[in-house]
Amino acid sequence: MTELTTKTNSGYAKSVLKNTFSQISARIGFYWIAAVALLAIFAPFIANSHPYLMKTTDGISSPLLQHLIPADVIIIVIFITVIVLYFLKKNLAFNVLALLTVLVVSTILSFALIKPPQLVVYEKYREMERNNQLEWVVNAPIPYSAKDYLRDYGETGMEQPLADDKRNHWFGTEQSGADVLSRMIHACRIALGIGFVATGIAMLIGVILGGLMGYFSGIVDMLGMRLVEIFEAIPTLFLLLTFVAFFGSSLYLMMVIIGLTTWPGYARFVRAEYLKLRRMDYVQSAIACGLPLRSILFRHMLPNGIAPVLVAASFGVASAILFEATLSFLGLGLVDNPSWGQMLNQAVQSASFYWWMAFFPGGAIFFTVFAYNLMGESLRDAIDPYLKKKT
Amino acid sequence: MIPTLLGITLVVFTVMAASPGGLSVQNLVDTQGLEPEARKALEDYYNKRYGLDQPAPVQYLKWLNNISPAGFTFDESDEIDGFSLVKGSDLGTSFIYGRPVTELLKERVPITLLLNLISIPIIYLIAITVGVRAATKRGETFDVGSGFIMLGLWSVPTMLAGVLLMGYFSNDQYWHYFPTSGLSYREAHDMPFMPHWSNGFEPIKLLFSILLGAFLFIMFSAKANRRVRATGMAVLGLVLGAWLASNMAGESGWVTITLIALFLTGIFYVLGDMEYDSFRTLTMGLLGMFLGALVAGLTLEGEFVRGFMLDRIWHLVLPIICFTYGGFAFLSKLSRTSVLENLLSDYARTARAKGVSEKDVLWRHVFRNSLLPLITVSAALLPSLLGGSVIVESIFSIDGMGKLGVEAVKLKDRELVLSITLISGILTLIGYLIADIFYALADPRISYD
Repeated sequence: MTELTTKTNSGYAKSVLKNTFSQISARIGFYWIAAVALLAIFAPFIANSHPYLMKTTDGISSPLLQHLIPADVIIIVIFITVIVLYFLKKNLAFNVLALLTVLVVSTILSFALIKPPQLVVYEKYREMERNNQLEWVVNAPIPYSAKDYLRDYGETGMEQPLADDKRNHWFGTEQSGADVLSRMIHACRIALGIGFVATGIAMLIGVILGGLMGYFSGIVDMLGMRLVEIFEAIPTLFLLLTFVAFFGSSLYLMMVIIGLTTWPGYARFVRAEYLKLRRMDYVQSAIACGLPLRSILFRHMLPNGIAPVLVAASFGVASAILFEATLSFLGLGLVDNPSWGQMLNQAVQSASFYWWMAFFPGGAIFFTVFAYNLMGESLRDAIDPYLKKKT
Repeated sequence: MIPTLLGITLVVFTVMAASPGGLSVQNLVDTQGLEPEARKALEDYYNKRYGLDQPAPVQYLKWLNNISPAGFTFDESDEIDGFSLVKGSDLGTSFIYGRPVTELLKERVPITLLLNLISIPIIYLIAITVGVRAATKRGETFDVGSGFIMLGLWSVPTMLAGVLLMGYFSNDQYWHYFPTSGLSYREAHDMPFMPHWSNGFEPIKLLFSILLGAFLFIMFSAKANRRVRATGMAVLGLVLGAWLASNMAGESGWVTITLIALFLTGIFYVLGDMEYDSFRTLTMGLLGMFLGALVAGLTLEGEFVRGFMLDRIWHLVLPIICFTYGGFAFLSKLSRTSVLENLLSDYARTARAKGVSEKDVLWRHVFRNSLLPLITVSAALLPSLLGGSVIVESIFSIDGMGKLGVEAVKLKDRELVLSITLISGILTLIGYLIADIFYALADPRISYD
């Protein structure tokens, strides 16, 4: 019996996926996100002031590997695991379990074993090169770190793309002199991470609360809906601003906060679906069998009611990215870490307009949001059979 | 309504109270760099005035008591000395401004409301025009093209649009056509409301050239055939683009000029080529009026006083663009879906079968029904516009409620944050109420007993 249900389920999911990605717009969106994700994963290898390899009088060394922080290593290990799992083609439970194990083990190991130097001096390689202390050196494609403010070049600050012949800043430099392209590549992590985690948290809260509301209906539903209404009547951005202003802005906190403020939409969708489903025969029989509530709600009802939530989620990721960018734009985001919104904020300052600060980070936000919206749109068309039927 | 309002303020208050440091004077008031005694005095003052040394629930109840029109009254030593039904509501005094919150809100709320009230009709007008056309011409170029463009517009972050518009159109590096900040120049407050000229002949010339421009373009749009129209418009776009580019401040290379000219050529070509007659005629008519005004403006003589109204409109152009594009992009997609759903429904087929013309099916039968989802969304539109006003007002330095809100949360002003939450909650609930009323108007079957 279980065999049968999982089969039909995956068949439906497969056909929806196939329908979604048969549209060219969804494919374009997917490729863009994939590209951004690759940039995010390999950010330290693409843009870094530390050379890959260099030969000094002390011998050959690789400063880049020495300066990798635990987070870099964990991300890469997870990426490799995902690739391996994809080719192994095991079932979902195995995949999730394996991924979690790898995550925990790699986190513990990398924090225990990897001790990058506390003091990072980005300028020293360039100085060594100038003083001819290096025999040869292999640099990263973009030889500037996100927080390398190029102090050795003196007063840098806002510079147009390719303004200086000595340094190649393809996208120019920002206020404090760091390379914009490098900062944008490192900011991919924040954008994607916030998008996924915040939406995940919002979905989790929304599914649990919405599921309970829809399943029990009556008084639970009434109370829950009042809560949803309250959260919907506060402008989300304002609530977020209050949260961030009072709680401070760390990356992880921001993810939680965006998740905590955007759940009502998901709760509404799940509730509507569950109100429909609770009278279905299979749910009634599950109740009659005496299955625990957890099993009825999440194992039996959720797969049938998740479709609209997934559509909302794909738009939700886009709006989470926008929220992060907006917070950073308003000066309430991460302080030192690169973020697209914070760079966009520097575009108009004191009556001067720096076009490269508007076009490149702004364009990155736009294309990422657009990509998610394209995918969401296609997913909705694939799931919603109403308009298709009448064609 | 009242429970929702209570809930809204309670949520925001809980957020503030639960934060590390909470609602204590050390967290809210910046006392750095003060002598210990001065600091102590300042803290005592705030504690006494705002009751910051009391536990959070007490603070909240006191605040509630303050804002409710009937409630307890307190004597000098902060003890309850009676209950009054007519004590009047008081939103308290702002920490950062040191002024009554009511006074601040009286200045700021009308500005945000003005922005919203101008934006909403524009949003609905464009959304319905585009959405209905896209639904009736399903699968054709207009449908696909507008769908793609609208999705794109919807994805443009407001701050990007604001920064680009401001950078290019109100900055002296490029085209300094619009003011940089605020809603009016200081000198505009001394001007009369309407624009006027020292010379009586000039307004007639202006009016005449606007009318002539509109007439010429409408005739061109209505009479000329498609190819002539498209070519004519493309040439016009080229000329305008080249003129714009050469008008740019600073050095402009030929690449920039070509790009701008080609961009405008493309847009104008698409407009001229469009088969959507009423939309094209309207747009081209507006364009004609604009060009007429431009030509007349270039040849105007005599002294011209802009007047308060024109100054305000001039300041509002860019913020309103930022405000509206996201809304109409979203709503036009929604109105397309909803019109399409109704066009394919059984009652529309019945109407067609009994010989009602397609136009009547659309406007008499389908249109009214498809308005319902649009009205439903309008309730959610107001909070999102209020949220959007935070960004737009910050970019264009408009002293509205959104900017006040950002300042309030950044400086942790308890009274102001709570009051702004309350006001935006009330505005949102009023939005819901209006949506309900329109709902009943659009669909007589709906009644609220």
